[in-house]
Amino acid sequence: MPIKTNVLQSILYKIKHMAKSSMAKYVLRRLLYLIPIFFGILIIVFVSTRMAGDPVKLMTGLNPRITAEARERLTQYYGLDQPLYYQFLKFVWEMLHGNLGNSYAIRGGTAVTTLVGDYAWETFKLQLTALFFSLLIAIPIGILSARKQYSKLDVTVTTTSLIGTCIPIFYMGIVAILIFSYSLGWFPYGAAHSLDPSRYPFGSYLLDELWHLFLPATVLTFAELAPVVLLVRSSMLEVLRQDYILAARASGLSERTVIYKHALRNALIPVVTYVGLYFGGMLAGAPITEKVFNWPGVGRLYVEAISKLDFPVITGITVFVTLMVLIANLVTDIAYAYIDPRIRIE
Amino acid sequence: MAPREILKIENLTTYFYTWAGVVKAVDGISLDVREGETLGLVGESGSGKSVTALSILRIVPMPGRIIGGKIIYKGENLLEKTEDEMQQIRGKEIAYISQDPATSLNPVFSIADQLTEVIRRHQNVTKEEALKKAIELFRLVEIADPEIKIWNYPHQLSGGMKQRIAIARALSCQPNLLLADEPTTNLDVTIQAQILELMKNLKKLGMSMILITHDMGVVAGVADRINVMYAGRVCEVASTKTIFRNPVHPYSRALLEAVSHVTVKRVQPKIIPGAIPNLISPPSGCRFHPRCDFAAAECAAVVPQLVEIEPEHYVACIRAKEFMENVKEVKL
Ligand SMILES: Nc1ncnc2c1ncn2[C@@H]1O[C@H](COP(=O)(O)OP(=O)(O)O)[C@@H](O)[C@H]1O
Ligand SMILES: [Mg+2]
Repeated sequence: MPIKTNVLQSILYKIKHMAKSSMAKYVLRRLLYLIPIFFGILIIVFVSTRMAGDPVKLMTGLNPRITAEARERLTQYYGLDQPLYYQFLKFVWEMLHGNLGNSYAIRGGTAVTTLVGDYAWETFKLQLTALFFSLLIAIPIGILSARKQYSKLDVTVTTTSLIGTCIPIFYMGIVAILIFSYSLGWFPYGAAHSLDPSRYPFGSYLLDELWHLFLPATVLTFAELAPVVLLVRSSMLEVLRQDYILAARASGLSERTVIYKHALRNALIPVVTYVGLYFGGMLAGAPITEKVFNWPGVGRLYVEAISKLDFPVITGITVFVTLMVLIANLVTDIAYAYIDPRIRIE
Repeated sequence: MAPREILKIENLTTYFYTWAGVVKAVDGISLDVREGETLGLVGESGSGKSVTALSILRIVPMPGRIIGGKIIYKGENLLEKTEDEMQQIRGKEIAYISQDPATSLNPVFSIADQLTEVIRRHQNVTKEEALKKAIELFRLVEIADPEIKIWNYPHQLSGGMKQRIAIARALSCQPNLLLADEPTTNLDVTIQAQILELMKNLKKLGMSMILITHDMGVVAGVADRINVMYAGRVCEVASTKTIFRNPVHPYSRALLEAVSHVTVKRVQPKIIPGAIPNLISPPSGCRFHPRCDFAAAECAAVVPQLVEIEPEHYVACIRAKEFMENVKEVKL
């Protein structure tokens, strides 16, 4: 049967072809781009923090009996008497060995990697929970709203979302704390854990963690929800107007296939961009959110480190944030290539 | 013996309810397609040709709605069918090729995916069998190296190739009726000729077809009969030969003068003066009267009905009889 062998040949061709134009090359190229960007950012932050002031002066400023000699010794101890390029190269060398130095002031001399690790975990726990639930809720609502454009449901969703995007997170947060913590007393005022284990609900550490997480995560979810709903709705409307959707309907495909296969795959492209940018925004916005909820995350750590001119911590957080943003970018690019063959195959 | 009709549209009315007003895109048209024939649906852009095709499949996009009429396919009114029943008809009984090949394939799925998906929707076959069928279809629409081309994505293919694939998809389940909406309009001239040749060959498969175009030149060699449409209404229906030799409606004549490939004498195609009217508040009476060189006073008052002025030749013009008698003088 010649036809049968044709199908086989065709499938074989596909396998070979896919192996050739595999994602690996694409990912590798992206990775190589990231290296100069990472070091560029590092240099900028390293130089600018070191021009911000003298941490030794700040540490000793309240001590009237400190001698110039003692100051000198401290400066030498921290290596701040060395030329800037030497400090930088030393830092990079240590970093490549997994050492980001020890803090000057925060938790007196803790390794920066430990410090950032502890705080970053809290930030991620909060932000990723919120991101996950906001996407989970917003995508179906956005799709439904687009499919029923101008219906009562759509108008309600759009109006609520527009109002939602206009309310700043700190306002929402403070109101939520006032109502649910202050008046009703259902949730703690802030922080990620009870200090005193005897206060754990039912004596469970996990329940305590969830109890603390609930209010900030809910507020953040709602804050994230509105823009995603609007984004999915408008992107879906744009896609539903396309000829290929009409063609898919004209082929007798079920409404589910038309919406969730043909339309959604295209409509998700801008959502992927959004999520990619979200990681940058999440770490930039973390100081405010974490201040409101008294949350022990990197945002709060960053503010504290800057106010104390704690150079290793500042640089350490920068390394961490930069890496996160770059990785988020890479993941976004990979997701793009996965969704859209126009990017994958030239 | 009267020829059997595969599709009979009676008084189809489809309006778009926009913010600006109600667009009367298709306003009470009737037409029929006979078993095995190709019907040319001709009219300027904006006449409601595409909306007619979408109405037949009941996929008129929002805010459009079919508000009246009957679409009788094989004796059954499609407007009374459920959505599920319509899904079984779309692509399987009645297939559609949309206007723009550049956008009618989904950019994010491979051609194999998009073809086998339709085949498997309507036929109970395995993935491999569907793939085999898709490759055979590629042969039918004359695409070289089908085994390789089938794994491509739309952006890797030329416009003509995409249109061939759109045609292949439409033919994948051996439909009885094909709605081809301007299959050549958005292509290069040389490719146009190739696609048109392909459409002609498809006629040999015994399928009925509605070939939609704004260009009389396109239907000339393909259509058996022609249905001339203007601003949501039918003007004239007759065999292709009659329309070309003895057009009666002034709009049909204007369209013929605007044909781009005049085979007899190479004259500059004429442009019909004026523009198609706004369909929110269309002209009263005959919708063509403001642009008609032969309009009489009543033309603005009376809506002309389709009248059989000679066997198998229908015209919607109150002066049709007059034009028939003086055909020689009124003609060029
Ligand atoms: N989605 C839509 N919304 C509003 N009006 C529409 C829509 N689609 C088509 N129309 C109107 O319907 C009329 C007929 O359009 P169409 O059938 O596409 O014309 P043709 O295919 O003959 O060029 C036009 O006046 C057009 O403006
Ligand atoms: Mg059209």
